Amino acid sequence: MTLSKDDELLLNAYLDGELDPLEANRFEARLASEPALAAEIEAYRLLRAALRSDLAEDVPSPDLRRRITSSLDLRAPSRRPAWGALAASFLAGVVLAGSMTLGVLHRQAGDEIAGEVVSAHIRSLMAPAPTDVPSSDHHTVKPWFNGKLAFAPVVPDFGSQGFPLVGARVDVVGLEPAATLVYSRGKHLISLTEIPAGQASVTAARSYEERGFLVRSWSEDGVTYFAVSDAAAEELEAFMKLFQAETARKSQS
Amino acid sequence: MNVGDATDQDRFAEVFLPHLVDAFRLARWLAGSRADAEDIVQEASLRAFKGIRGFGGGDSRAWALTIVRNTSYSWLAKNRPSAVVLTEDLNQTAHDRVDQSDAMERTPEAALIAKVEAEEIRKAMATLPVPFREVLVLREINGLDYRAIAEIAELPIGTVMSRLARARRKLLDAISGGAP
Repeated sequence: MTLSKDDELLLNAYLDGELDPLEANRFEARLASEPALAAEIEAYRLLRAALRSDLAEDVPSPDLRRRITSSLDLRAPSRRPAWGALAASFLAGVVLAGSMTLGVLHRQAGDEIAGEVVSAHIRSLMAPAPTDVPSSDHHTVKPWFNGKLAFAPVVPDFGSQGFPLVGARVDVVGLEPAATLVYSRGKHLISLTEIPAGQASVTAARSYEERGFLVRSWSEDGVTYFAVSDAAAEELEAFMKLFQAETARKSQS
Repeated sequence: MNVGDATDQDRFAEVFLPHLVDAFRLARWLAGSRADAEDIVQEASLRAFKGIRGFGGGDSRAWALTIVRNTSYSWLAKNRPSAVVLTEDLNQTAHDRVDQSDAMERTPEAALIAKVEAEEIRKAMATLPVPFREVLVLREINGLDYRAIAEIAELPIGTVMSRLARARRKLLDAISGGAP
């Protein structure tokens, strides 16, 4: 299949959840009616799944964190490595430029949706139960959404990886019902909200704090995901990675 | 030189340390080896620590990765000067028509990629020029959106899009071409 340059960019943007809802719907209609385009996107999805499963497993040696924290122990400045002075000279420019642009771009349209998702998470913690359907069985949870939503959410369970599914609820985000799955991590709960294309205009892959809760969001195949929790940032990160691996796996099958 | 106190250390632990794995992966795929990546991340952590007061809130991961990215480039400029030079014009060059006609003769890509080994993907990644590899790693391994990638790599969003498309195309071609 030969793609025009425009189609190739469109396909990439769709795959990355970067199309606006209208464009995403249009592209999905083309995918349904053009088998060649559908075959092409299949190759891209497989490539993504392969990249993520093979390359994303790399973790630094446990020693790295220890080296960093001990090198930054200022009570023992003699232990600081010699490249310190060199690095310092680069520093002012690098950091100043970085923080300025980030500061300007911080708040954006997607934050409104994030605010609603966090509100729903807080409300669920104050309610008698954080879920409308308490169940660790995705065979129970998935059909429970039938008739409540205009789309079928993915409902993975990460019980064996330390994030067991606790249940689900329907939140209202941007005046539309959205699927929220609830997972536990130790004493902490994680709300994972799925919002399909066309329902809310949100930007992908953000990480922020809202009223003391960490929010991570990302988009894939037109669906935007929000994970909200008071768990440690690293744990939420690990959860997000698991979820992304799962959706990447799902979209290729 | 007394640059820090407990507060700076707390902030560093909050802002930079949670992103150590992401930082390592970015450096790993820019520099090519685990050992070099750990050195780069350690140097980046020092830069981050010293500049922690410049962090104005917002996306701490993007902030941390910006520093790691810049540190990686300093490292590459010193140790692999040829790697950071991009010989192809990325934005203006229209699609390579020859590549496209080749693509039509190929076996369906999906079937080939399904069979491809991890090792082949690693090799194909290694052949990508750094500016292509960078956007692909920020997107696929670090999970960032186009806007965050544009910010970190200091590129217009349009360039992020075209580099990402070209990077994936090159990988698909390398993998399909290399398979029996």
